[in-house]
Amino acid sequence: MSGFLQATVYGLLQGGLLALVAVGFSLVWGVMNVVNLAHGGFVILGAYVGWEMHQWFGLDPFLGMFVSAAVLFVFGYVLQRFLINLVINGPIFITLLLTFGLELMIVQGMNLVFSADYRSIGTSYSSDSLAFGSVRVPLGRLLAFALAVAITVLLVAVVNRTRTGMSILATGMDRGAARLMGIQARHVYALTFGIAAALAGMAGAMIGTVGTFNPSAAASFTLMSFVVAVLGGLGNMYGALVGGLVIGLVQAWGGQYLPGTWVNALAFLVLIVVLIFRPTGLVGRPYYAARLEV
Amino acid sequence: MRSRTLAAAAVITASSLVVAGCGSKGEAKSTSAVSSGTLAIGASLSLTGQLAREGQLTKEGYQLCQEKVNAKGGVDIGGKKTKLDIQYQDDTSKPDVAAQLVDQFNDKGIKLILSSYGSANTEAQAAVIERNGQVMVDSAGADNKIFSKGYKSTFAVLSPATEYSSSIVKAIAELATPKPKSVVFLSADDGFSKTVTEGGMKTAQDQGFTVLGPQYFPNGTSDVSSALTKVKGEHPDVIIGSVHLVEGVAIIKQAKELAVTPAGFGETVAPPTPDFAKTLGTAAENVLGSSQWTDATKGTDKYFGSAKDYTKDIQAKFAHAPDYHNAEASGACLALVLAAEKAGSSQPDAVRAALRGLDTESFFGKIKFDSTGQNIYKPMSVIQIQNGKVVTVWPTESAEAKMVWPGTK
Repeated sequence: MSGFLQATVYGLLQGGLLALVAVGFSLVWGVMNVVNLAHGGFVILGAYVGWEMHQWFGLDPFLGMFVSAAVLFVFGYVLQRFLINLVINGPIFITLLLTFGLELMIVQGMNLVFSADYRSIGTSYSSDSLAFGSVRVPLGRLLAFALAVAITVLLVAVVNRTRTGMSILATGMDRGAARLMGIQARHVYALTFGIAAALAGMAGAMIGTVGTFNPSAAASFTLMSFVVAVLGGLGNMYGALVGGLVIGLVQAWGGQYLPGTWVNALAFLVLIVVLIFRPTGLVGRPYYAARLEV
Repeated sequence: MRSRTLAAAAVITASSLVVAGCGSKGEAKSTSAVSSGTLAIGASLSLTGQLAREGQLTKEGYQLCQEKVNAKGGVDIGGKKTKLDIQYQDDTSKPDVAAQLVDQFNDKGIKLILSSYGSANTEAQAAVIERNGQVMVDSAGADNKIFSKGYKSTFAVLSPATEYSSSIVKAIAELATPKPKSVVFLSADDGFSKTVTEGGMKTAQDQGFTVLGPQYFPNGTSDVSSALTKVKGEHPDVIIGSVHLVEGVAIIKQAKELAVTPAGFGETVAPPTPDFAKTLGTAAENVLGSSQWTDATKGTDKYFGSAKDYTKDIQAKFAHAPDYHNAEASGACLALVLAAEKAGSSQPDAVRAALRGLDTESFFGKIKFDSTGQNIYKPMSVIQIQNGKVVTVWPTESAEAKMVWPGTK
């Protein structure tokens, strides 16, 4: 029983982190119909910024992640405004290829600048844990989880309650109509992409704190974001959170009761089963699924 | 329509993982093995992708070898000094690309090859080498399977996979007091790591340990929490990881998070790598590891001198302490150079015959190959992280410090 509880706690915490990794990916896909294959690169870039802040200025990664967010926001905004916007009206394959190319360049750039060394942002508390009977709750992961949930809730509030957020939603629903209402679609797209990159950067800094990273880890985060976004569904800001938690739990329970090498296959099996019964994902909205036909 | 879009996105996302490994094969100038006073040797290396870190260390070992040999005028082939020219290509950590690159070298007339990093890449290359009549010296492919296929043209300077964990088990059995009773293996699921685990379990049984059921996890994962949660209830005295760096770091980090506290940890490839202690800080203290080479290794050769000299040279050229991946790469290069000199030729048949008859000392220890291509003299050392440094603790005759046991406090 304690094994089950321990796996559940660990799975939830891991799932929260996955949710933060994927929430920006889901946002960009939902609003702009862009499947951003460079997303994993943003995550790792955020981890490096957090690492540099900790290394050179002694900044705690939970503060350093705001620097990661700022750097990645600017990077994402510029990238969308001046590069991806050029092909945003093209077929989805064009943006796929463009972001795939960007991912390769970002990863190779990081290889050159930071080398392929494995790194981890070491803090005095990141490997400590709280004991509840026989169940341990790792402190670093708990903080990361709490922040992931808080940031997702904040994002929902910003998108639903602020003028900027509503302009993002409006552009996502009908770009033509939004333009007629005086919304600058190019700016809104760049803003959305910047926010997504900033969230990826924050997730990266947290991953660097509780785990290890090097440039080649980028591809696995892109793939995991894709799985989480599809599982949770598009058009609902909580989609990534739900998807992340489900994947985290499935992997933890699978690892506990099945041979450990089956966990990835199990995650994809759950994805397939969910898509058979709920093609729009667990909490996705059919409207966004239909919009993808454009 | 949506499903088509999704399918397309899925295919491209998945293919990104594959294609990421397929670029940058690069162009090398066409050359014969010996042309205009140079001896061309081909080396496909994992310079990008999952094994980029280890690939870079391997490249450094080859680079230092070239520098050292050329500093003495080059390879002495039949009385003529010939400059060594190692040509590098990036195999992006993919076995199929590593094998293709060996073919490409063959097309260019380059018959002498230094291996890529890792068992999977080397195993893929060895089959092509055999078919093409090339000759390869293997610096980092340790899986016993490579040497069980009857290949005649692949020669490995390093110890086979089974020794990686067996050496740790033997060191604990000999030096740990109080002697632990039970041991469990946590293992990545790639061929090399599985062979390591099987070899280690057999040795542990032979040494009288109670061996608990092994736990496997996906190769390259940074989350081993499930395996640790499973073994936590069994209270093993020793946890041995058959792992690479990422999984090795994850075991120590997550064991601390989950309060899994055996008397000691041992891990194969990870602890001797400088990144291990750097990444884990104090959590790395007293973790045991196995190493193909340490600077306490006995023996000298004319190009590198002693193991201590080698340490100084790596430090001077690359500004870091030598890693055994550096040394095994330089050792492989040295064996190939010495064989070419012994053969007085760069022709593959002559070099192959010379490698078979090679029996020499070196900074890497003694080198002599058996009929399967393995180095019969090669022992493995067991190291321990003490005060953030890698020190040799076994075999006792070359130990730099006493083993600290129990390793966890």
